[in-house]
Amino acid sequence: MTFRFRTGFFLSILVPVFLAASASTVLAQGKAMIALMPKSKGNAYFISCKAGADKAAKELGVELLFDGPVDANAARQNEIVENWITLGVDAIAVAAENKEGISTVLRKAQKQGIKVLTYDADSLPDARSFFVNQATPEGIANALMDEAARLCNSTGQFAILSASLTAGNQREWQMYIEKRLAEKYPQMTLVAVRPCDDLKDRAQSEATALMSANPELKLLMAICSPAVPGAAEAVKQAGRVGSVKVIGLGLPNENRRYVKEGVTQTVVLWKTEDLGYLTVYAANALVNGTLKPGATSFKAGSLGEFAVDKDQILLGTPFLFNKTNIDDYNF
Amino acid sequence: MKFSAGSAWRRILFRHEMLLLVVLIVEWLLFLHFGTMTNRRGVTVGFGTLDRQFDILRHSCEIGLLALALTPIILTAGIDLSVASLLGLCAIVFGQLTHDVGLPLSLAIPLTLLAGGLGGAVNAGLIAGLRLPPLIVTLGTYSLFRGLAEAMTGGAVTYTQFPSGFLALGQGRWLGVPAQAWIFVGVAVGMWMLVHRSVAGRFIRVIGFAPEGAQYAGVRVGKCLTFVYVLAGLVSAAAALVYTARLGQAKADAAVGYELYAITAVVLGGTSIFGGKGSVTGTLLGVAVIAVLKNGLATLPVVIRMNSAEELSGLLTGGLLLFALVIGMLPKLLSAVCIRR
Repeated sequence: MTFRFRTGFFLSILVPVFLAASASTVLAQGKAMIALMPKSKGNAYFISCKAGADKAAKELGVELLFDGPVDANAARQNEIVENWITLGVDAIAVAAENKEGISTVLRKAQKQGIKVLTYDADSLPDARSFFVNQATPEGIANALMDEAARLCNSTGQFAILSASLTAGNQREWQMYIEKRLAEKYPQMTLVAVRPCDDLKDRAQSEATALMSANPELKLLMAICSPAVPGAAEAVKQAGRVGSVKVIGLGLPNENRRYVKEGVTQTVVLWKTEDLGYLTVYAANALVNGTLKPGATSFKAGSLGEFAVDKDQILLGTPFLFNKTNIDDYNF
Repeated sequence: MKFSAGSAWRRILFRHEMLLLVVLIVEWLLFLHFGTMTNRRGVTVGFGTLDRQFDILRHSCEIGLLALALTPIILTAGIDLSVASLLGLCAIVFGQLTHDVGLPLSLAIPLTLLAGGLGGAVNAGLIAGLRLPPLIVTLGTYSLFRGLAEAMTGGAVTYTQFPSGFLALGQGRWLGVPAQAWIFVGVAVGMWMLVHRSVAGRFIRVIGFAPEGAQYAGVRVGKCLTFVYVLAGLVSAAAALVYTARLGQAKADAAVGYELYAITAVVLGGTSIFGGKGSVTGTLLGVAVIAVLKNGLATLPVVIRMNSAEELSGLLTGGLLLFALVIGMLPKLLSAVCIRR
């Protein structure tokens, strides 16, 4: 008696789950299914990517899956891709947390005929057809340098705050910034490049030191995201708002306060919604065969034409967030 | 429980393990039924395929190893919250030994196991030596080991590119089954011998029932406790090697949260959190029930389309554990009600 009673109890947990599950054996055919994975589900950056992706999915009439780790967890990303392979989705687009880590399972998906692309952060090139690249190093560097020149009327001193003097992406951006400076703005001088170890506090003290060492300094350019609010705080506390301008690469939400106070003039990034939108359009085009390796351009709905450079689809020039438009964005 | 005495088959039938086995078979059959289909791409996927069973086995090895390590500890009425943190630390130690120091596997593997043993010895020293409460001690080392792993890598370094011979331990097969299954089976048999067939196993339970009494009865409590916590450290290190080989990467956040899955498996397996009562077989069944539930759910199309397989499996695992606890209490509650009448 007891025995039957106990087993019944356990069954009563399981049965409703399977009743729900039984509906699934009938699978929707015809409508393409595109699976999009963020580095982490709760990250505002990726939530705004999803908003764009949803819009694209609605326009195209495809079913969009959006799942990822609750925290940025490379192992969990692999598991979710495995599940998507089991379900047999038509295309998978991943923002890879770990370049090597994700590649094996993406290759497995490709082997089963699933179209694979990456966006935001790439996997190894052979594990996907295209990488939807939000910004090239040169594009970011040029946008920052041009904006700095515009704010300084192309003359005077400026300084760079970077994450570290050795990090690959930081060095690359710095190199292109210096190239642009030499080519287009001979009246401007880069007086110093200081590392801040990706720490806001350190950026703040470096910025303070830079301002006292260089009284003629007209602008601080922060090329890692914690340094943008760090530099702004230093300028504000030194009472140099306006006379020392601040620009940098960062998220609107982290800098909103300083931008509205007029401490920070411009935050450079890309429109994350467009990134999600473009990724879903590219995935759909791969599925229906309109986008093939070797293409040089590609049309994505209301956003129009995008350049394709070998195996990378380029989102285009970065976007400038300033006092007039920053409130339209929340990430 | 009030069964007619002397009826041996009944005693076997009504054991907690038997109940778990029934649950395991039922959930497996249900997943087999609803998880087998031709998917959207025309590929037949089945829950019942051998590949899928091996997949489940692979994914449950690390949690299984930790659960095995925890079984004798919980039998002594202790707990070790630090096992998964130690796993993370050992993964980083292994990564540094092979990559930064450049040691061959033949040295790096024993040294990693040694590091695990040392981590376990820290717990043992504080718990057996100073007689501090295991919950507090391992709560401390839970943060300490993970913090150390993060500090050693700045939280950012990921060790990849391990030799293929090592990766085979986590991704390849030995004699037809996933390589790590052999380690799992080896540790399981060892633990079973320890808990159910050795004098030490008897002492472990006695400590769990009545630590004071054990002391007076001549059981060397300190020595026994030291042994189980150091053993847990060693097994955590072994789990670290399996984890690193399976994913091909070692990072400071390896296996975050696994200690809770492992404790869940042990308790679901019928081992009393108050010590003294429980079995290795129960733990193994607990691990299997959770692993099948997780994998089966995560691969049901309706669940994948809900975009929240992770959350749902957490929900159901938690629900299952609570039900198991309540059901375990039922006979007592019923008899209490009867007596009152």
